[in-house]
Amino acid sequence: MPSYLETTVDKFIFKVATDRHYSPAGVWALAEGDRIRIGMTDFLQQLNGDVAFAEVRPEGTVLGTGDEVALIETIKTNVGVPSPVGGTVAEVNPAMELSPEAINQDPYGAGWLALIDARDWPTDRDALLDAQAYFELMTGQAAEEAKKR
Amino acid sequence: MIVPCSGIGKTYGTVSREAAYEVTEDRRPGATGLVALSLLVLGDADARAAVRAHPAVTIDGCKLACAAKMVQESGGHVAQGFAVLDVYRRNRQLKPQGIAELNEGGQQLAHAVAEEIATVVDELVSCEEAPDRA
Repeated sequence: MPSYLETTVDKFIFKVATDRHYSPAGVWALAEGDRIRIGMTDFLQQLNGDVAFAEVRPEGTVLGTGDEVALIETIKTNVGVPSPVGGTVAEVNPAMELSPEAINQDPYGAGWLALIDARDWPTDRDALLDAQAYFELMTGQAAEEAKKR
Repeated sequence: MIVPCSGIGKTYGTVSREAAYEVTEDRRPGATGLVALSLLVLGDADARAAVRAHPAVTIDGCKLACAAKMVQESGGHVAQGFAVLDVYRRNRQLKPQGIAELNEGGQQLAHAVAEEIATVVDELVSCEEAPDRA
C-alpha cells in the first residue's frame, strides 16, 4: 500500500501516492521491473466525474510519449489520457471493460489503465514530476478549479 | 414513491427527473407518486411521511446517491435504487447532453430509465397485492 500526500480544497480531498511519478496532465507512472503501470490521478478523476466508459488502446499499440493511451468518457466530458511514457502497450486493465468505475473508486490501485513496455524509461522518468512536485502543482490546479465553482 | 436526483444544472440529474415525471405522469400514474428530494433535505413533514409510508424507488444522477441516502435518512425504505449512469452503460448509444433541454439521446435515456422503473413498480404493486408472495 502506498502512502499518500493529501490536501483538502473546498470540500474535496485529493491524494497523491508517493511511490510513483506524474505527468503535469495528471497521469501517474509506476515502474514494475521493465514495465510501467499507468493510470489517472485522484485529482484528474475527481475533476472529470464518474466514469461511464474507458477505452484503452489495445495490447501491441506502439505509443510515443504523450500519445493518447486512453479515452475516458465521464458524466461531464471526454478525456484523452496522454501516455507519460513511450513504448508498447503490454497489458490493458481488464476491469476497464466492465467496471471502469474502478478509476473513480481506486485510481492508484484497481483503476490502473495499462502496463507499458517502456522504450526509454530513464529518459521519460526524468521528464516527469516526483510526488511532491506533482502534489504542489495539483494543489494549485485544484485551487484554480475551486475558483470557477 | 419515486424520488429523483435534484441535481439542477446537471445532465444526469435532468435525465433522472424526466424519468421520474414519465413514470408518475404517464406510465404508472395511479400506482406512483413523486417526492421532491429538496423537500426531504429540508425535512418537510409530508415528504418524510410519504417515503416512510411507501417503498421508495430512487433515481440518482451521480455516485453521491443523494436520493437514496436522503430516503434512508428520512426513515424510508429504498425498494430499488437506480443510477442513471448504470442505465447509460447498458445503452451506450443514448449519450445524454443538455441540461434544461435534453438532446434526443438524453430523452431516450430517460425513457429507458422510466421503463426499468415501471417494471420495478409493477413488481412492488404485485407484492403488495399478494403479500404471501413477497
